[in-house]
Amino acid sequence: MPAGVFKETYGEEIAIFRYPIHYAGAALGLLFALMLPILVGPYYMLLAVSFLIFLVGTVGLNITVGLAGLISLAHAALMGMGAYVTAFLAEKGVNILVAIPVAGLSAAALAFILALPSFRLKGYYLAMASLAAQFIIEYIFALIDPDQYVPIPDEAKYLGGIYLGRGLPLYYTTLAITIVSILTAVNLGRSILGRAMKAVRDNDVAAEVVGINVYYVKAIAFTIGGFYAGLAGGLYALYSSGIGWEGFTLEGSIEYLGMVLIGGPGRIVWGSFLGVLLVRTGWTLLESTLADLIVSYVAAALKYLILGGMIAGFIIFEPEGLIAVLRRFKEYLRLWPYSY
Amino acid sequence: MVEANILVGALFQGFVLGLIYALIALGFNIIYRVSKSINFAHPALILLVGYVALVVSRQNGIAAGLIISLAVAALAGLVLEKSLAKPLIGKPPVALIGATLGAFYVIRGVTFIVGRFEAAALPLQSTYYSLGLLKVSTNDLVSMAVTGAGLLGLILLHNKTRIGSAIRAVAEDAEGAAGYGLPVSRLMTLSWILAGLTGALGGLALSLKAQVNPYLDFYAIKAFAASILAGLDSIGGVVLGGLALGLVEQLASIVLEPYLPGIGGHIAFFFLLLILLVKPYGLFGTERIERI
Repeated sequence: MPAGVFKETYGEEIAIFRYPIHYAGAALGLLFALMLPILVGPYYMLLAVSFLIFLVGTVGLNITVGLAGLISLAHAALMGMGAYVTAFLAEKGVNILVAIPVAGLSAAALAFILALPSFRLKGYYLAMASLAAQFIIEYIFALIDPDQYVPIPDEAKYLGGIYLGRGLPLYYTTLAITIVSILTAVNLGRSILGRAMKAVRDNDVAAEVVGINVYYVKAIAFTIGGFYAGLAGGLYALYSSGIGWEGFTLEGSIEYLGMVLIGGPGRIVWGSFLGVLLVRTGWTLLESTLADLIVSYVAAALKYLILGGMIAGFIIFEPEGLIAVLRRFKEYLRLWPYSY
Repeated sequence: MVEANILVGALFQGFVLGLIYALIALGFNIIYRVSKSINFAHPALILLVGYVALVVSRQNGIAAGLIISLAVAALAGLVLEKSLAKPLIGKPPVALIGATLGAFYVIRGVTFIVGRFEAAALPLQSTYYSLGLLKVSTNDLVSMAVTGAGLLGLILLHNKTRIGSAIRAVAEDAEGAAGYGLPVSRLMTLSWILAGLTGALGGLALSLKAQVNPYLDFYAIKAFAASILAGLDSIGGVVLGGLALGLVEQLASIVLEPYLPGIGGHIAFFFLLLILLVKPYGLFGTERIERI
């Protein structure tokens, strides 16, 4: 820590901006995010949009898994719920900017219903319950959408005459929604609810003893995670011209879980950021290089090998995720050339 | 009303599949007892066994395929225990769940490189016999024999032998068992190997029943429902759980199919959620007295 900054109140200790470098970092980061369309071409801008969408979803799962310590295997299904609700509302003529929050709320409601079994059960039973829920929701998607294609009408994607589904407006809309939801998530982590979630994660018996309503906190954590998944689904509907449920299967849920566990569970923003960057965007870039080099079935199998190996490896060797590796590296640089 | 021969056939199929479910569910329960966590890598093991048996038996005959796939499964159990379960002892169960999920993907990746996503039947000639209303194939009979023998053998091993009682002691209280001089760590390894072998027998029976295809692990995921119905720490109960699941599935696909297409393949998950809501410790599981 730089010498010369002293904290006198608890409020200063838990503030978002605690050191001058935080202000500088936030300003530079924001500037970079706003300038990105100028810096890179349209392909990388679309990649950035998909990165932001999955960042919102991963932030949600990081609240469920990282803060509250619940394993959820139904996150992709909840995202699908958001996407389908958006598609349905857009079909009815509702503007997409109205439909996206509604999608979040409906996914949150679904998540709350799914969390009901966890009222009685410990973590691994919730993993089972959410796994079952994932397959049930997939089955319902297959019933209502047998062709795997629901178009999102373009008419719903206008705001004041500007078409939001493409190019710069798409990027900036997604960026705005992402920033708002990330700020909300950061503040959630600092609030009484966030601290209650951490207490439940670390020791649920002790949490109950100090007066935290454990069932309530678990259900809320799952519900909030569902809300973010629904938002991500709504953004996904904005991003694509039509949705199918093949993106919302168990594999999607495991990928989400992988992004949280690899990036850094409990570190809501930066953990999720690194996870999505490495797993989702990294793989997209790697895939296009691999496609020329090796046979397609090996490339498809390689995704399972790499992702699975990284999930297991991080849990065993670095349970705090990639962010802890970076932090150690930062400490090393700060202390260099001394060892402590 | 449903015709009698369809009903009899469905009940028989439910019985055969139910035994397979029971054997796969037994693998989950063996692991749960010693490691207190759910082994999500188990479904991928089923897939691996199917493909290893397919690839090896094409070149070296069915006997070699069976032996090598059993050996691969036992080895996989050993590797999983050494690489995941042992380093994570003492960590919250969520850690092992995540790690086995990772292993689920790794084993899937290996399987798809070995098996190239193809779908084919094991090279074993099957003939059909008619017994009154019922049509029976030799593959059904063989898989019934394999699963029946596997279930009986494991339950006897678990309940009647010295090794079985040692494993039970470790499952009950690992530290206490260590105090009595039992080789706890070796018994845990043995349990994982046993679970691997159970999965291998289940996987082989399943590949006989439903061909080797990239979705074999889906059956194993459905076997979770059997495991939960029996109670995660129950051993003998899985037979009942598996049979219940097999029969429910077949009956649902006869009765509900006209209204909800494809429900037969997914009823297991409704079943699973229902059990978790109503009786989370299952029919034969020990109800732990904890309120969180």
